[in-house]
Amino acid sequence: MVTNDATLLRIKHDILYEVAKLAWNGQLEDGRDDIPYVISPGPQAKYRCCVYKEREIVRQRIRLAEGKCPTDRNTNNVVQVINAACEECPIASYTVTDNCRKCMGKACQNSCPFGAITIGNTKAHIDPDKCRECGKCAQACPYNAIAHLERPCKKVCPVDAITYDEYGICVIDEKKCIQCGACIHSCPFGAIGSKTFMVDVIRLINAGKKVVAMMAPATEGQFGPDITFSSWRTALKKIGFADMIEVGLGGDMTAAAEAEEWAEAYKQGKKMTTSCCPAFVNMIKQHFPELLDNMSTTVSPMCAVSRMLKAKDPGVITVFIGPCIAKKSETLDLNIQGNADYAMTYGEIRAMLRAKDVILEPEENDTQEASVFGKRFGNGGGVTAAVLQCLKETGENDDIKVARCNGAAECKKALMLLKVGRLPEDFIEGMACVGGCVGGPSKHKTEMEAKKSRDKLIAEADAREVHENLKNYDMASFSMHRH
Amino acid sequence: MRVSICIGSACHLKGSREVIQKLQKLVTENGLDGEVDLNGDFCSGNCRKGVCVTVDGTLYSVKPETTEDFFKREILGRLNAGI
Repeated sequence: MVTNDATLLRIKHDILYEVAKLAWNGQLEDGRDDIPYVISPGPQAKYRCCVYKEREIVRQRIRLAEGKCPTDRNTNNVVQVINAACEECPIASYTVTDNCRKCMGKACQNSCPFGAITIGNTKAHIDPDKCRECGKCAQACPYNAIAHLERPCKKVCPVDAITYDEYGICVIDEKKCIQCGACIHSCPFGAIGSKTFMVDVIRLINAGKKVVAMMAPATEGQFGPDITFSSWRTALKKIGFADMIEVGLGGDMTAAAEAEEWAEAYKQGKKMTTSCCPAFVNMIKQHFPELLDNMSTTVSPMCAVSRMLKAKDPGVITVFIGPCIAKKSETLDLNIQGNADYAMTYGEIRAMLRAKDVILEPEENDTQEASVFGKRFGNGGGVTAAVLQCLKETGENDDIKVARCNGAAECKKALMLLKVGRLPEDFIEGMACVGGCVGGPSKHKTEMEAKKSRDKLIAEADAREVHENLKNYDMASFSMHRH
Repeated sequence: MRVSICIGSACHLKGSREVIQKLQKLVTENGLDGEVDLNGDFCSGNCRKGVCVTVDGTLYSVKPETTEDFFKREILGRLNAGI
């Protein structure tokens, strides 16, 4: 997978691995200070200006791996800036390059509404104090001489939560941040990361607790055509998990409950949104609080499965594993009862497996817990497809219009329209990541890379319907609504 | 009012889940769902004081059996005092 931080993924993973190894052996307290020297042995620096900086960055990454903030500045955000790693990218966003021919047309100067452009000795010059970053000059130049330099982190943030301090170091505005994690892998210096529950989960397994893994619907296909849910169950049991369950089953549960809610709302002429994507939920809470009443009260598939497990065995500890960062923030919302205790990414669980010398091995899938509709919850449009299927199964009107929002930008646009009463559709499916969960920030492979394997694995499932599948589970033992 | 309960492994082993469930119940019973915002916290390193509960920035040490008293004193108490 080619990402902005491709070479960094190895280092990030090695640090998680070292932390996991020590945690499994109960030696983290004593061994933590040695990790920076393992990763950056010196005497020469490999990537940064000196080994001291490299080691400080490793120290900050270790703190994140342990669920702490990278520095002693404690904040609640899941997504955090590793300030030692931030390279203070230039902020001046429109810059004149050497392509400038200092031409006579001066389209740049004539197009600038703010008088920010002067013509220097060799090329045009943009006065950063006057420039308002409208981009008209870049469009006007016939030589493509004006480049738009934007910080990669700032560029991908859908809610404009990235700013910088007086030294140019990235700062996250936590009131705006929806924990989608888009910035994490956009940074070519790996200067943004997320707090992890990895050490907590390891310690609870070591303490002999019954810990059950819940794998995201996006999982199938991420690790090749032969790695099935059975492969995962086997591997996770080897490292001490009591069991593993497909969250696609929760997809079926959420779809059925949401279909009932939507059918009711449709009759009342009320427009509604989904509530399964935690970053989308955060977007509504923080940026469109007036729309909270339009958000479905159905719990997420993760929460549904967790509640089912806890109804059966109240002592069980539930851990969600998937490509999502925002799920970590969902587990921190304790206003929702019975939700997953912890959420982890594929990278974190892989480090835990590797630290125990366990690898995922091809295995025939022996249990199917979700219908194909629940399994597709992790794809853009998947929630809508499952809800429509449920409406069909129960004989309700399935002729409803849904805005399938693919990615945070589309979500924001649809919510804006809903807010001003101009949304043409009846419902909004909100997926903060492009492509749905399969495009999540902590995916192992991109949607395109994984597509063939995913289609193959899902095609092996039988054609059971959603309600037919739910008959196998005690749906009366827990509530499907937030309160 | 923001109330955060540490959900790290050390606090979990000291009964944070029970503290959380009791607080969730007390908040609902007292009709404070809109006023009290219950959050989980990552480990802040104060494990010896666990279960760590923070109310508007002040750290308290709570046990499952002291949860109800804590709720009355620090949550209801503060809300009633209008702080």
